[in-house]
Amino acid sequence: MTILGMQLTAHECATVADKASVAQATAVAAARLVRGRWQCQRCGQRAFAPLPAGGGYCTACVGMSRVELGAKLWRFPSGPAPLGGPLTWHGTLTAAQAAGAQAAIESFAAGRDHLFWAVTGAGKTEMLFPLIAASLAQQQRVAVVSPRIDVVLELAPRLQAAFIGTPVAVAYGGVPWPVRDAPLTVATTHQMLRYFQHFDLMIIDEVDAFPFSQTPMLAHACQQAVRGVTVYLSATPPRALQRAAARGAIGVSTLARRFHGAPLPVPVVWRAKLPHLPHALPPIVWRLLARVQASGRRCLLFVPDTRWVAPLAAQLQANGWTATGVHASDPARLAKVAAFRQGQYDCLVTTTILERGVTIPRCAVLVLAADNAQFNWAALVQMAGRAGRAAASPDDPVWFIAQHWSWAMVVARHEIRVMNAQPVTA
Amino acid sequence: MRCVNCQRPLTQDFTLTALLSAQPLRLPRLGVRCEATFTRIDTHTACPGCGRAESPQLCADCRRWQAQGLPLLHHRALFRYDAPMRLFIQQYKGQGNYALHQAFWHLLPQPARGIAWVPVTSEPHHLQQRGFDPVLGLFAGLPLQLWLTKADTPLPQAQKKREARLATPQSFTATLPRHPAATVVLLDDLYTTGRTLYHAQTALRAAGYRGTIRSFSLIR
Repeated sequence: MTILGMQLTAHECATVADKASVAQATAVAAARLVRGRWQCQRCGQRAFAPLPAGGGYCTACVGMSRVELGAKLWRFPSGPAPLGGPLTWHGTLTAAQAAGAQAAIESFAAGRDHLFWAVTGAGKTEMLFPLIAASLAQQQRVAVVSPRIDVVLELAPRLQAAFIGTPVAVAYGGVPWPVRDAPLTVATTHQMLRYFQHFDLMIIDEVDAFPFSQTPMLAHACQQAVRGVTVYLSATPPRALQRAAARGAIGVSTLARRFHGAPLPVPVVWRAKLPHLPHALPPIVWRLLARVQASGRRCLLFVPDTRWVAPLAAQLQANGWTATGVHASDPARLAKVAAFRQGQYDCLVTTTILERGVTIPRCAVLVLAADNAQFNWAALVQMAGRAGRAAASPDDPVWFIAQHWSWAMVVARHEIRVMNAQPVTA
Repeated sequence: MRCVNCQRPLTQDFTLTALLSAQPLRLPRLGVRCEATFTRIDTHTACPGCGRAESPQLCADCRRWQAQGLPLLHHRALFRYDAPMRLFIQQYKGQGNYALHQAFWHLLPQPARGIAWVPVTSEPHHLQQRGFDPVLGLFAGLPLQLWLTKADTPLPQAQKKREARLATPQSFTATLPRHPAATVVLLDDLYTTGRTLYHAQTALRAAGYRGTIRSFSLIR
């Protein structure tokens, strides 16, 4: 097990086998008084709760070994990365992708943070390869992190395939810590709590995804784990990043077109009364579903509430669809998505967990109760982005079924149109 | 107020019945969705001896305790020890997230006259490590009587196999007040083999307690 660049609690240190390297760590107080309140030095939050035996602990990051008042954090020295191999990916980038990658490399050389603002399905991962290769060639440490385990599990094999000679460490909750000291790390953002000033290049995929956007702790974790440049990736970057890019504080590469060059499908809004959801689908949904079936497509049906998934899937089944439902705590979730991808289901009822990182060819998207407060504009853009990803059918339909227009729906449609209106860079 | 488990906002409010009744007002600190992930034990079909789910007859374990000459504890438990509950216990006792201790207060029995609630306390060593006593935390909504003290043992019950658990020697000592209540309800977080609670019962009897001894736990 390698503990280079980590910051560990005393309890975690006790599990480290290599006692000689434990002695090299520098100890810092785990909590500091900031304006009268204790601040956790690992997660940056001020959420200490008292313990009956005296003292207290940080409730924000308690899931990764408890940080206690008066305890120490042990920070281990980092150092340069072991030498990795070259880029072994032999695909070609489109002109727009290559330009975006070049802009990122320039930002990286200038020591400036960078935002990849690329529409859903633009091929963001491939655009990262030249940047990662440039960093690895300088014996630097690279971390590719995402708030979602699904994304980590999908990225890790793709990166390993692109850098065959380079050891890749994968870290997420529930697996043992990386054994080897690897120049390239793929991890969840939570794991960054365990590192301090360790990475020269930090690439955060899906910056606006839950839970990253709602949890200030994770942004703090990524900030303190990096000692160089941070690169943000998103199709729907948060407004703060958009503004920073606009005023030139961070570099930006914009990709307004998908890799196949077709514009994004623009959501069509159908207003309907939805009083009986989730028990009875409105007639318009049945009409739209019939259209999907007639065109030989599959359908992703997004719902705002976990409790809607099962009754709606049952209803579709009763009407002759081979349908199933998935939600975040479904144990068979990965298997069901894989089966849907292989065409074993016509329709998949899902919550927003499938709004990112899923590519299904010839797939229509239907968002039920799109005006629900659960759906912000980014979620709507991401869900709409599940359609038309394959070059063979770039014009899959996207429908929003809603009782009213919500502001998020207006913004989502506007954002998609703005991207479509941008000139295609040669 | 937010759910102690998932941090989602709590939407429940007091019912009119709760407001008008003489019972103390207790709002759940655990969200409805989180509570629904745990499986309740139906007391009507549970084992009359140990509260094991779906065992209307006295189960083999209880008959063995009887064969050893120990009076049954007529144990009652709220939840099964399934995967969500294991996760909860792992977060509460393993990771030491003390904020979860209020999660089940609203489901505890109502305190009554003539009943002493006697928790099974943890070892001084564990208490010092965790910074809290998990059983005292879970049942802090009840007026607890600290009659039992536990000496340090080499290995916690949780890390033992069934045979080793059953072979655990007595580590409790009891000190009774001058006029103890007529009924004692022993409280623990988890009933697995019953070894701990039967040791507690023996310790109370050894200290001279003559009343009824029953037991209650969160999980069976």
